[in-house]
Amino acid sequence: MSSHLVELDKLNKWFGDVHVLKDIDLLVDPGSVNVVIGPSGSGKSTMLRCINLLEEPTSGRVYFDGKDITDVRVNVNKARTEIGIVFQAFNLFPHMTALGNITVALRKVLKLSDTEAKERALEELRHVGLAERGDSYPSQLSGGQQQRVAIARALAMRPKLMLFDEVTSALDPELINEVLDTMKRLADEGMTMVIVTHEMGFAKEVGTRLLVMDDGRILEDGDPRQIFASPQHARTKSFLSHVL
Amino acid sequence: MAVEVAERPPSGLTLIRRESVAISLAAVGLGTLSLAVLFVGTVAVLFAHDFTPSGSLVRGLKSHELDAVLIAAMVVGVAAAIVGLAGLQRMRTKVSREECIAGAALGGQALLFGAILFWFVNGDRVELFTTSYLDFERLGPMLGDFLNGAKNTLILAFSAEFFGIILGLILAIFAISKRAVVRAPARVYINFFRGTPLIWQLIFIGIGIPIGLGIRIDTYKAGIIALSLNAGAYMAEVFRAGIQSIERGQIEAARGLGMSYLQAMRYAILPQAVRRVIPPLMNEFVILIKDTALIIVLGISSAQRDLMNVGDQAVANDFNPTPYIMVALGYLAITLPLIRLVNILEKRLRSGLVGVGA
Repeated sequence: MSSHLVELDKLNKWFGDVHVLKDIDLLVDPGSVNVVIGPSGSGKSTMLRCINLLEEPTSGRVYFDGKDITDVRVNVNKARTEIGIVFQAFNLFPHMTALGNITVALRKVLKLSDTEAKERALEELRHVGLAERGDSYPSQLSGGQQQRVAIARALAMRPKLMLFDEVTSALDPELINEVLDTMKRLADEGMTMVIVTHEMGFAKEVGTRLLVMDDGRILEDGDPRQIFASPQHARTKSFLSHVL
Repeated sequence: MAVEVAERPPSGLTLIRRESVAISLAAVGLGTLSLAVLFVGTVAVLFAHDFTPSGSLVRGLKSHELDAVLIAAMVVGVAAAIVGLAGLQRMRTKVSREECIAGAALGGQALLFGAILFWFVNGDRVELFTTSYLDFERLGPMLGDFLNGAKNTLILAFSAEFFGIILGLILAIFAISKRAVVRAPARVYINFFRGTPLIWQLIFIGIGIPIGLGIRIDTYKAGIIALSLNAGAYMAEVFRAGIQSIERGQIEAARGLGMSYLQAMRYAILPQAVRRVIPPLMNEFVILIKDTALIIVLGISSAQRDLMNVGDQAVANDFNPTPYIMVALGYLAITLPLIRLVNILEKRLRSGLVGVGA
């Protein structure tokens, strides 16, 4: 329908009486790196999770790759194979090895053969620098390594879009960079990404576009350097002064 | 040797050993001795007189040797309790205090059991009780029946456990559905089978339903069906709790990879949930083993009898309740290893070995 990879159209989300997303409109271009920042409770994660419908919007439409995936006749599972998501809490399957975590969806959802799945999984583990740890269980890996396995798990599906939901928030400070470096390399390779983060340095350096959210609305939208240098809204100014 | 010890800093163990003082060691020693005298002495005296026939056992129980053993055990037990309790307040270390308490507790146990046994062997019911409950001679010819009974108990319990697990899993998945029309029937089923007595269910399924539908069900199979339906309801609750204990992020990760709800359950959630509920499932199994005795209400052939009912039948045939002792031993022979297994599994689960491994 358009050249945009994602289109959010008048998205609203209510949790009970709480209006979390208010008429969100957003267009995501292929190859763009969209960083979403904002105070906690501003709706960043909810908006991100609406893109692959892990959160069901109360009203509004979500278009992915030209298709309205909020249409009940559309197979959401199919769309989700093309949208990778990485979580704050890693959410690796603890009863499977790193390889098992990556191959399970390749085999059961994409129906790849065992050997194809394993080859692709090893390739993605190499991609995130963990080729040696394929047989490790999540509990045997550091937080940073677990998060890189989670990224590899999402990448192995060969998605057109990657969603990152505060992926470094649960990590010890010394482990944050290995994950950010992995994401940076993905950005350099041209992956389309939407990233909710508190890492302002990363937002400025890697983002091609910055979205500042507050109280369920997108307050500012533009070039990261410009917004960091001269924010338009007083709310943005005060938020940035608290986090920078 | 002594030089070596002097050169090394004392290890924790040598410190502990040194801190045991004479009084606390005496307490724990006397306590152990009192229980040992009680059990070893009693068995030795009875063994010397022989356990069978019951006349010999009666003579053993009424013998002066046994009186002497019991009195000795009680006296030593009292001594252990006095030394332990009197010394307790004067002990200065944790270890010596614990030894005083242990000595007093062991001595108290010897006194209690010794007194009960002494009361019994010096009363006028020794002969009556022994010929009724301890007439072990009768058990020899019944051994085959008991083994058959144990076999039936195991068949009934394992079949009901097997079908109960399958049914319970399906019910649990229905019971956590977000659709009320799917959830409600599962809840009605679970609440009904948990809310009515198993004996009622056995009668209704084994007798009521065959009359109503004009069908014939072998009573043994009807028993297995009723036990399975009942176990399924309890296991559904166990599985539901297990599934709901898995973090939300797990199903989100699975759905985020494009898995359907059932795929996410099958590959991500259930393997973890099942591991978590192994201990409560085994607990249900131990209960089930004993519940199998209720199938007697259906009227079953002698070859189909379970452990409890073999015992009942033997008692009724001979007008002698000694087989009941055998019944208890039979159940313990089945359940104790299982309880032990549950404990081992629980320890492994807590240490994370099962939770992590494939």
